[in-house]
This record gives sequence, structure tokens and C-alpha cells, in this order.
Amino acid sequence: MIKNPFRNRTRATLAIIGIAIGIATIVALGMVTGGLQSSTQSTLKAGSAEITVTKIGSGNFGSSGGVLDESLVTDLKNTNGVKDTAGILRVNSNVSTSSGGSGFGSMGGFLVNGIDSSKLALVGIDSVNGTIFTNGSSNEIIIGKTVAQNLNKTVGSTIDIYGTEFEVTGIFESGNFIYDTGAFTSLSTLQNLTNNTGKVSYIQVKVNDNANASQVSKTIQDERPNDLSATTAVDQANRINQSLGMIDTASWAISLLAIVIGGVGVINTMIMSVFERTREIGVLKAVGWKDRRILGMILGESIILTLVAAVVGIILGIVAVEIIFKLFITSQSFEAVLTMDTLLKAFGVALLVGIVGGLYPAYRASRLAPTEALRYE
Amino acid sequence: MTEENVIEIHNLQKTYDKGKIKALNGIDLEIKKGEFISIMGPSGSGKSTLLNMIGALDRAEEGTIKVAGIDLMKTRDLSEFRSQEIGFVFQMHNLVPNLSVLENVEIPMYETRVKSEEMRRRALELLEAVGLKDKADKNPTKLSGGERQRVAIARALVNHPSIILADEPTGALDSKTGDVILNLLKSLHSKEQVTLVMVTHEPYVAEMADRILHVLDGKINNSS
Ligand SMILES: Nc1ncnc2c1ncn2[C@@H]1O[C@H](COP(=O)(O)OP(=O)(O)O)[C@@H](O)[C@H]1O
Ligand SMILES: [Mg+2]
Repeated sequence: MIKNPFRNRTRATLAIIGIAIGIATIVALGMVTGGLQSSTQSTLKAGSAEITVTKIGSGNFGSSGGVLDESLVTDLKNTNGVKDTAGILRVNSNVSTSSGGSGFGSMGGFLVNGIDSSKLALVGIDSVNGTIFTNGSSNEIIIGKTVAQNLNKTVGSTIDIYGTEFEVTGIFESGNFIYDTGAFTSLSTLQNLTNNTGKVSYIQVKVNDNANASQVSKTIQDERPNDLSATTAVDQANRINQSLGMIDTASWAISLLAIVIGGVGVINTMIMSVFERTREIGVLKAVGWKDRRILGMILGESIILTLVAAVVGIILGIVAVEIIFKLFITSQSFEAVLTMDTLLKAFGVALLVGIVGGLYPAYRASRLAPTEALRYE
Repeated sequence: MTEENVIEIHNLQKTYDKGKIKALNGIDLEIKKGEFISIMGPSGSGKSTLLNMIGALDRAEEGTIKVAGIDLMKTRDLSEFRSQEIGFVFQMHNLVPNLSVLENVEIPMYETRVKSEEMRRRALELLEAVGLKDKADKNPTKLSGGERQRVAIARALVNHPSIILADEPTGALDSKTGDVILNLLKSLHSKEQVTLVMVTHEPYVAEMADRILHVLDGKINNSS
């Protein structure tokens, strides 16, 4: 019985391809949403700073130029409601690929952050495998676990940054994707090395336990409206959540489209199949099969068809996302994540298409008059 | 209804195309348990329609029909009756092409409470009786016409029915193969003590039966 939906190869294949494309889109969008979700969740880690201050007009994390004066780090600390601040200088390592990295280095290196070693908690790093770098010009560095994996580095290895050898003293896992694909070293060392003495790219601000982050952020912003831009992690998360919401809506719209188009394809496939098997259905009725069993048989075949399409679509979606990420998105942004939710949704949509598309043909088959069916050659 | 009549039909009428075609025009018929009846008559005279009425594949408009003690005019769901009391053998296209020979014999048991091992055992037993046990796992499309009819006969018997309805079972076979099928039907009829109603065009085939019925224009012609 299982083989029945595939008796007409071409028709079954066409129906499967149609539904599979819809499912693949759902899975691909789901993986992107899943990835964005897990990266926002990690930025909201407890203990880390709530507010990011950058030079106005520069990118979110100050990665696109626009440095701030280091004196601001202390100034901001004196703002009402602020518990602690940390200045961070961020540069691209431009590390050479000779170190045997698996293609990671060729993507333009990783981000090196200079920070006061006592402020690491503010960026979500509270434990290090090994030891933390010392402040000053000791040329020590701690690297994120992703960097360690990609560049094949362990504690004690050396890394060449701006022509200077750094010793890896520790490996950390902050849970924040951006940090885990980067490294931290002494602020002053990095400032000297990159001719940025007295400069930082952005400032992380941690507010007092009883203070409202949005309010503090607003205060900072209002004090230097032409100079600084302050965003809270919540703001950022909200912004990302908004785009997540949009992707989610798109995903549901595509699901709906897949249900409609796939449903029509399945109806067509199954009606043709029932039509071709009129005689066979007559025989089944003659041997005593109840209408319900015939309905169940055709409906079951329809569902098998769409579940096969779901499996094909899921594989297609994963492969497509992997390829797109490999080609266009460097590992510094974020990873695609396939969640259980996405898988359930894919199978759910397929099941729905199978039921919706199979119901009418199955009903028709169950209501065939046996004598008519048996006259049919 | 007398004790030994397995089929009792009175004034049965069946029309098609909204009354334009009178397929059965007042059939009166009684068949005893265990009888072997052959039905003859020209094409379009209503033989198949009569068989379909007995097998509860369709309903008549007028008259009464009782088969194996069941009033077919009044019973709502007749699928159980079909599976328990009737075994059909048609002229051709009896088998489901995508199922194995064994599965084809098993399908009438799907609506019963028989367990799957028992289904298999019973189906193999009947395939052995028709000499096709070694073909059990084959696809029916790989079988000859005569072999397919033997599978259909095995299937017709699988639920121990009280009546076998055979509508020109040898009509698509050459006479030699046809004779094998007839002998098989006849021997199973006596062995299983089942009532056998068979439509045929061949007078010598009809002669094998206990009684011959002639159908003409939807009526039974009693002149013979
Ligand atoms: N399902 C049907 N729809 C319309 N007409 C039918 C149907 N079944 C049988 N008939 C008609 O009823 C008459 C009797 O048919 P049938 O019982 O098949 O004859 P036979 O089997 O003796 O050749 C024929 O005129 C046939 O065309
Ligand atoms: Mg006929």
C-alpha cells in the first residue's frame, strides 16, 4: 500500500517537488530565525553591560570607524545610575592563514578587542579556560572558543597580530556569538599596536541594580546628543525581534502558500490516482472493504506523499542554508540554527497539506458506486 | 424463508439511467444452500446485475431479496455482509496490481478481526489449494490469466463465505485454461460446501451445474 502514491512516478515527483520547495523555504527561514534568536538571547546575559555607547553615526559596535576618547569611559561612569563602564577598542586581526586555520583566516581574520582585564564581566566573559591576560604590554591574549577551534589554537599557542606575536593564555566561551568568534587583549597594548592611543571603539555601560537601563541610556544620550549614540541591549533585542517577527510572518505566509499550492497539487495527484484505480476500488468494495477504510487508504497515501515531500524539503532547506551561509555570510555574524520548532512546523505543514489535499479525493473514492467501478475498464 | 434456501428473491427490479434501462424486470428465484447454479443469457440481459444484487454491490428499487438470512433491502451497511458471506470472482481485473499475490488473497480479511499471522496462514492455505503457494510473493501482473483467476478464487474463499458469485470466470481465458478453472471451482464447491452461482456463455460449462437459469430481458425464463 505504501508504494501506491508513487505508481505514477512523474506525477508523484512533481507533487513532491512542489511541496518540498515550500517546506524548504519554511525550514530555511526557520533556521535563519533560529540563528537570530539564539544570538539575541546570548547578548542579554546577566552580569554584562546593558548599554552600548558608540560615536554617533558609527555602526552598532563601533566596528566601522568612529572612535571615542578614552576619557569618556570615566566621564560616563559618573553619570547617575551607572555602576561601571568599560572602554573597548575593536580591530580586525587580519591574521595570516599560515597558521593552518580551516578557511577561517581567509575570511578577513577575527575581531580583536582591547579591554581592561578587570572589566571582562561586562562583556559577558566570567570564566576563562586558562588565565586572563595581564594589563600592560605583556602581549597576552584570550581567544573565543570558535577562534580556538577554527585556528587550531590552544593555551600556550601564539598568534600573530599586526606583526606582533601574542601568547594565548586562555580560551573563553561567553555564549555571545560575536565575542566567541573574537579575542580579547589588554586595551593599552592594542591601542599602542594600532596607533589608537587614548581611543576606544565603544563603551559598555552597566547600570546600578535598581536603575532603569533605558532611562540611563536616555540620560547619556541627552547629555551628548551630537556626539554619542546609546542603545540598550533590550533595544537591540527588540530591533532584532522586530525583524524576527517579520521573517516569522513571511514564513507563515509562505507556509500558507505552500499549503494552497501543495494542496492543489496533492488533490490533482490523488484524484488522478483514484480515477486510474477505479476498478481496483470496486474490487476492494466487492470483498467487503468499508467506505471508511477506502477513505483512510487514499488519505494515508496522500499523507505519505506529503511526508516524503517534507523530508526532501527539510534536507533541501538545510543544504540551501548551508550553501548560502558558506558563500555569503562570514562566521562573524551568526550561525543558522535548526530548531525542533522549525522541524515540527515543516512536518505540520506537510501533514496539513496531505490531509487537506487528500480529503476530497479520498471522499470521492469512498463514495464510488461498486457496480460502476467494476464496469470501469 | 425456508431453512435450506440461501438465496430468496421475489419480483426484484432494478433500473439504470433514471429508469430508462430496466436491467432487472421482476426476478423470482430461490437457491438452496450448497447448490451449483449456472446462469446463461444474451449479453445485456441482466446476468451481471443479478449477481451484483445477490452480492449486495448495489440496491434494487422493488421486490425482496434475502441472502444468507439477511434482508438486503433493509440492511444499511452491507460491507460486512459482503466480506462474510460473499466471494466474488469476476471475468478479469480481479486483482489489485500493486499488491503481492498473498496480499491480494488477504484483503477480504482486513475488515475482520483476524490477526495478521492468521491472515497469512489462511491465505497461504488457500493459495496451496489452488496450486499457487510458490507464487505468493509475486506481483499479479507477472501471472498468467489462468493463474490470476486461481488467485481470485482463493481470495473469494478466504473468509469462508456461504456463496461464491462467479461472473464469466473463464470468459477471458482459452478453453484449456478455462477448464482448469472450472474444475477447480467445481471441486472447491463440493469440498467447501459453498453455494456457487456462475454466469457463463458456454453451454457445456453450464451443464456442469446442478441447475441452469436462463435470463432474458431482466427476467428468468423458465421454459427450460
Ligand atoms: N451501472 C450501470 N449503469 C447503466 N446501465 C447499466 C449499468 N449496469 C448495467 N447496465 C445496463 O443494464 C443492462 C443489463 O446489464 P448486465 O447486467 O451487465 O448484463 P449482462 O451481464 O447480462 O451482459 C444492460 O443494458 C446494461 O447496459
Ligand atoms: Mg455481464
